[in-house]
Amino acid sequence: MIWNRLYLIYGTAVVLLLGAGAYRGWSFTSVNEVKNVPKSIRDNPGSYRAIYAGYHHYTGGK
Amino acid sequence: MSQPAALCPSCGAPIVFQWSSSVQTTCPHCKSILVRTDVNLEKVGVVSDLPPDSSPIQVGTSGVYENRAFTVAGRIIYDYDEGSWNEWHITLNQGGSAWLSDAQAQYAVTLAFPAAPLPALATVHLGDRFTWNKTAFEATVITEARYRGVEGELPFQYWDKQGATFIDLRSTGGDFATLDYSDTEPVLYLGKFVDFDALRLKNLRAFEGWS
Amino acid sequence: MSAGTPPQVQSLTCPNCGAPLTVRSMGRAVAIVCGHCHSILDAKDPQLKILQRFEDAIDEVPLIPLGSRGKWRGSDYEAIGFQVRSMESDGLTYSWREYLLFSPYKGFRYLTEYDGHWNDCSVATALPEAEGASARYLGKKYRHFQTCLAKTTFVLGEFPWQVAVNDDAIAVTDYIAPPYVLSSETAGNETTWTLGEYVNGADIWKAFGLPGLAPTPIGVYENQPSAVKTSAGRIWFAFAGLATALVVIFTLNQLFSQQEQVFREAYSFSPSSTEASFVTPEFELKARTSSVEVQTDADVSNQWIYLDYALIDEDTGQAYDFGREVSYYSGVDSDGTWTEGGHQDQVVLPSIPPGRYYLRIEPESDARLGSIGYTVTVTRDVPVLGVYLLAFAALLLPALLISWRTYSFEQMRWAQSDHPVVTLGGGE
Repeated sequence: MIWNRLYLIYGTAVVLLLGAGAYRGWSFTSVNEVKNVPKSIRDNPGSYRAIYAGYHHYTGGK
Repeated sequence: MSQPAALCPSCGAPIVFQWSSSVQTTCPHCKSILVRTDVNLEKVGVVSDLPPDSSPIQVGTSGVYENRAFTVAGRIIYDYDEGSWNEWHITLNQGGSAWLSDAQAQYAVTLAFPAAPLPALATVHLGDRFTWNKTAFEATVITEARYRGVEGELPFQYWDKQGATFIDLRSTGGDFATLDYSDTEPVLYLGKFVDFDALRLKNLRAFEGWS
Repeated sequence: MSAGTPPQVQSLTCPNCGAPLTVRSMGRAVAIVCGHCHSILDAKDPQLKILQRFEDAIDEVPLIPLGSRGKWRGSDYEAIGFQVRSMESDGLTYSWREYLLFSPYKGFRYLTEYDGHWNDCSVATALPEAEGASARYLGKKYRHFQTCLAKTTFVLGEFPWQVAVNDDAIAVTDYIAPPYVLSSETAGNETTWTLGEYVNGADIWKAFGLPGLAPTPIGVYENQPSAVKTSAGRIWFAFAGLATALVVIFTLNQLFSQQEQVFREAYSFSPSSTEASFVTPEFELKARTSSVEVQTDADVSNQWIYLDYALIDEDTGQAYDFGREVSYYSGVDSDGTWTEGGHQDQVVLPSIPPGRYYLRIEPESDARLGSIGYTVTVTRDVPVLGVYLLAFAALLLPALLISWRTYSFEQMRWAQSDHPVVTLGGGE
């Protein structure tokens, strides 16, 4: 009896989660999110590369 | 409900019949068996001391069977090769009498059922089937019993009978029937097995050490 | 009238060894066993005739000591008898124990124990109908579990029937309808039926105030109720309901997803150009946060093109980086023509907030090969099937698990019976 109750709670949570996901447009793609991309990219697209994502501070020599 | 009263012809003690149709009773004082021929009592014998027995029911116990209240008025104790059992004579408050059988604390209530013709003793074997009152019964036990003693009020006079043969029958639904061959003519009793709790018995015998 | 309360316990002496005997069943016993020498005595005989005498000093200690009192099923009972019975199967001997309980009001019942599994048994009052593979009692159907020959190997205490050790074996047949078992015992031409109900050892220990713990049950017993089986049916029912909800949400999603194309442009990439990276014009992702599909169509022929994408929010500066490859190869070999890859790639980005966006694209390809034409299409609010499949699997898995557990439980139950093949019908 308890299994039935647990399953119902679990199943309802899955369905609700799915509903939320369908509404919000979830997918399986893993996307690299980068914040604070400077506006200068539009003028100089080459200055933005994914590998630069972590370089928002000075890392060069002196 | 009238309660005829009389005096014991043997010892003079007052006898009160709890049940107006009692034919026979035993004097609680001198243990004489008394038979009513209407108000005049006739002493016909003496019952020996009942051996100590273990039924929780006693004369005066009351209970309920299928919504009918009853009171225990008397009993017959039978002996057979594996022990003994009690047939308690119960009087229904609405009238009439029945039997509450107590065999190893397995209880059944039966009432006399007029059915004819009833099979002769020699013709019945274990496993034989009969239908009475729209219920199918199968013969399960044949018991040869002897009278061991009596107590209280009974609806017939019987104390000088020696042996009695009973055939027990059961149904798939928990019904119980007995063919009583103690008289010249067989008598059929029909009823059911009952749970101790369902009988709601009051005024039971107290057993030392048991609640 | 006589019949004053008889003495509760009568004291007698064993004619074999002289040890004192305690009688508890108020004159209902037919046989009584001396606790000291284990001789079986005739309780109906005032001289206590010896029915069976023992040379061996085998001794088994009952888990419920004789004389123990407890409140069971609403009445006080006392343990007055103990019996060990055995049967043989495939050359092995299996023993179980029976404890006779007595109440002056309710009479006799007995508790049986095997491998830590307990049953509460009493004599059946109604007539069962046995039909070979099954039996019917009071409207309930019982399935045949086992028929065996049982012998009593040890006794203690009192019994309202004749007991003898290692005497003739009795044919015992069990029919089950968990948690009940309907048992018939045939000795000679007399058959007795008893109905047993599976009970927990812990409840017995509590009722009788026994020390320690009840023995741990081993394996699955014939009429042991399956905690899981009763749930299995209901869980599949719940699954059906939940799966329907999934389908409904899926349908609604398909119907209401806007699948709005917000950008589409064709480009050409020449691997030799110096700066490959460029940005697209701005486009708007309206309404609410939703999925965004980026589709790349490239006319590659035996070559590949790799596009490093970044979807950048003009206002917040938030970028979503991802890279996609489109490649297509074809040829002819001994088996015929073959192809590998395709001309289209699709990827769905999850939960992109609304706003003004542009794509920064950096294509890459094999420098030796020519230019490649490709088209980039951005569509918002597309349904994602994968999420539904995952949710479906998440719902299905526990239901499968429970069904498997039920199956293996029943398999363990029937393994010890006369019919070891499991069928999931019957019983509960």
